[in-house]
Amino acid sequence: MSPDVSSNSTTHVRSSIMTKRELKIALVGCGQIADAHLQEIRKIPDVQLVAVCDRAEPLARQAAGRFGVPDIFTNVNELLQSVHPDVLHITTPPQTHRAVALAAFEAGTHVYSEKPFSLDADEATQILSAAQNARLKVCVGHDQLFDPIWVRCREMFRSGRLGDVVHVESIQGYDLSGPFGQVLAAESDHWVHRLPGGLFQNTISHALYRITDFMLDETPQVMAAWRDVHGAGYPTDLRVMLWGKGVSANLVFSTQARPIQRVARIFGTRQIIEVDMDAQVIRCQPAFTLPGALTKLQVPARQFMEAARNLRRNIWRFARSDIHYFAGMKGIFERFYAAIRDEGEDPISPAEIVRVTAIMDAIFESCRDDTAENHPVVDGTQDNSVLPSPADRSSTQPVGAARDGGRG
Amino acid sequence: MRTFVTGASGFLGQRVVVALLERGGRVVCLVRRSANLEPLRRLAEQHTGRLDFVWGTLAQPASYADSLEGCACVYHVAAAMKGGTAVLFQNNVVATSELVKAAGRCGVGRFVLISSLAVYGSQSLPTGGVLDETCTLDPQPHLRDPYTYSKHSQEAAVQTACFDARLPIVVVRPGVIYGPGRDCITSRVGLQIGGLLICMGGRQELPYTHVDNCAEAIALAGLTARIEGEAFNIVDDNPPTARQLLRRYRREVARVRTVRIPHIGIMPLSRMCQWYNAYSRGQLPAVLTPYKSAAMWKVIRYSNAKAKRMLSWQPRINFDQGLEATFSALREQNLAHKISA
Repeated sequence: MSPDVSSNSTTHVRSSIMTKRELKIALVGCGQIADAHLQEIRKIPDVQLVAVCDRAEPLARQAAGRFGVPDIFTNVNELLQSVHPDVLHITTPPQTHRAVALAAFEAGTHVYSEKPFSLDADEATQILSAAQNARLKVCVGHDQLFDPIWVRCREMFRSGRLGDVVHVESIQGYDLSGPFGQVLAAESDHWVHRLPGGLFQNTISHALYRITDFMLDETPQVMAAWRDVHGAGYPTDLRVMLWGKGVSANLVFSTQARPIQRVARIFGTRQIIEVDMDAQVIRCQPAFTLPGALTKLQVPARQFMEAARNLRRNIWRFARSDIHYFAGMKGIFERFYAAIRDEGEDPISPAEIVRVTAIMDAIFESCRDDTAENHPVVDGTQDNSVLPSPADRSSTQPVGAARDGGRG
Repeated sequence: MRTFVTGASGFLGQRVVVALLERGGRVVCLVRRSANLEPLRRLAEQHTGRLDFVWGTLAQPASYADSLEGCACVYHVAAAMKGGTAVLFQNNVVATSELVKAAGRCGVGRFVLISSLAVYGSQSLPTGGVLDETCTLDPQPHLRDPYTYSKHSQEAAVQTACFDARLPIVVVRPGVIYGPGRDCITSRVGLQIGGLLICMGGRQELPYTHVDNCAEAIALAGLTARIEGEAFNIVDDNPPTARQLLRRYRREVARVRTVRIPHIGIMPLSRMCQWYNAYSRGQLPAVLTPYKSAAMWKVIRYSNAKAKRMLSWQPRINFDQGLEATFSALREQNLAHKISA
């Protein structure tokens, strides 16, 4: 639930040069993802959770109660002025990110914002400019880049074992019948439906930055289309093709494929690897070295050996209590806090935040173009895969209401 | 009498609507667009002019607020049962408080909250003790499962909101609701892990109530005079133990692969789970903790005397009849699955 950012606050900029002192952390927006933030922050030494904030007091209270946070607020400005946190984690709906971030900068507080960072690249630029003017740090929740299995994938690339990367395939599954999907189905004016990219804007960041981690083009060519494959009244599935100078990519967002996957296939000039985020394994497909029919023995033998190694590795990790769904989140938090203390680089640079947001904008623009071209409005009947254009996004009219004459 | 029912298309809500219509009332149902309304539409045909629909959700008070005008009673049956704590709080606590405020503004005569028997601190009862309405509510609900925590907080929030709105409240706390259309092997019997059922104990009585019996009690909670401010536990008479239910289920429905943890082993196992959760910093969730286990699987008895006395409620469907109908529906469902597979 979005916070109240109505009142002004005094400017209070602290020095960015800090010794290794305890950082005071606060969080605004006590929805589902806030649990993951609070859980991972608690594991990090030299930081202290000082307050949580939500417009709905019971939500703030339950989060504080379960994670041992001493202070709760229902107004983010009051929080900023009362407890003066060093870092504010923003886990509110994206429509509020800009206002909350600007309020935090005015109070001299660094900002960690959940993905998507902003509604579009223009807004992202505004937020980052304000942070730069205030000499404060900003980070976005591209946490899976710091997941142990993705870190291993990057190490393989750096060591040259993949050769040059020429293509990336990123697959993201989604369960529309899950708790959040059911809420989306029932609430036609849910904030997700009012995003320029709808459901996808809230979910494809992870799949997209797995691609942009290897595709460094500022503005790759984008072809994309979305469809409503369930008759849900809003687009539910997305296919994207990206062409960069040296790397191409596909992004598949599917609500139908089972099991639900978070997988990336990296196509190198030496070998192809498949990074399975959920199973925490990397499957390799190196070039064949044996001739003819022997290949048919070599490949399954290699797969067998690889599966055994992956099993051994995961057993060892399990024994060391090293398998955590949000491990990447802890990793990115630690690096962000270190950057605030001037002990390291920003985990995600401001330029990267804008670049990924701009590519996302281009994807949704391409989808709208595709809809206009292939599913035009006929006799006043709108196609049900239409989402609001950026110009319409301030409208409070529900997407569903525009389509079916008054859902909900 | 015009009444307003939330969650009207759900498992319990539909039966509450039937119970109210059978008593001659006029019912306004708050329903989601995505809900299956076929059963309610059939009811509307049978009771012409006495069943109205309001399309909306509790998260959008504007969608239903006008329909509360002129209602003598609100039956708040809707409840989120799945999801994380934040989601459950959003749906069960925040949205319910808004409903109470809207009802208060519209001059509704009574608010009937369907809570849960789980809100009690039953872990503090001695083995063999009786849980009734005089028992205290759980003093540390955040140590229980997210659903129980949200229902506990919902009661507190509704009590406060009703007091502020000067809206009389009656709380109904049903046990586990079973009946045709819902499985009856629940967490009160044991935990499902993969295809395996970990049976916890077996001697504990199951605080179950048949959906029709429960609906009857709920209807009476809105209609009975001079019970404002009261709470009623709803469980059926002579409940089976977990072991008896499982034995019958195996005989009449399907084989179940089980591992049994005897009562004496529940607490050591719970302590071990809790220790490992802390040691591994959450690598595996603390599904079992001594606090949760004592509340769930302790051998205690459940009283429904107050509901019988003050609501003149009698569970009309006994366990034999209720389980037979439930098992029959499950057999048909299993058969349908096999055919479709």
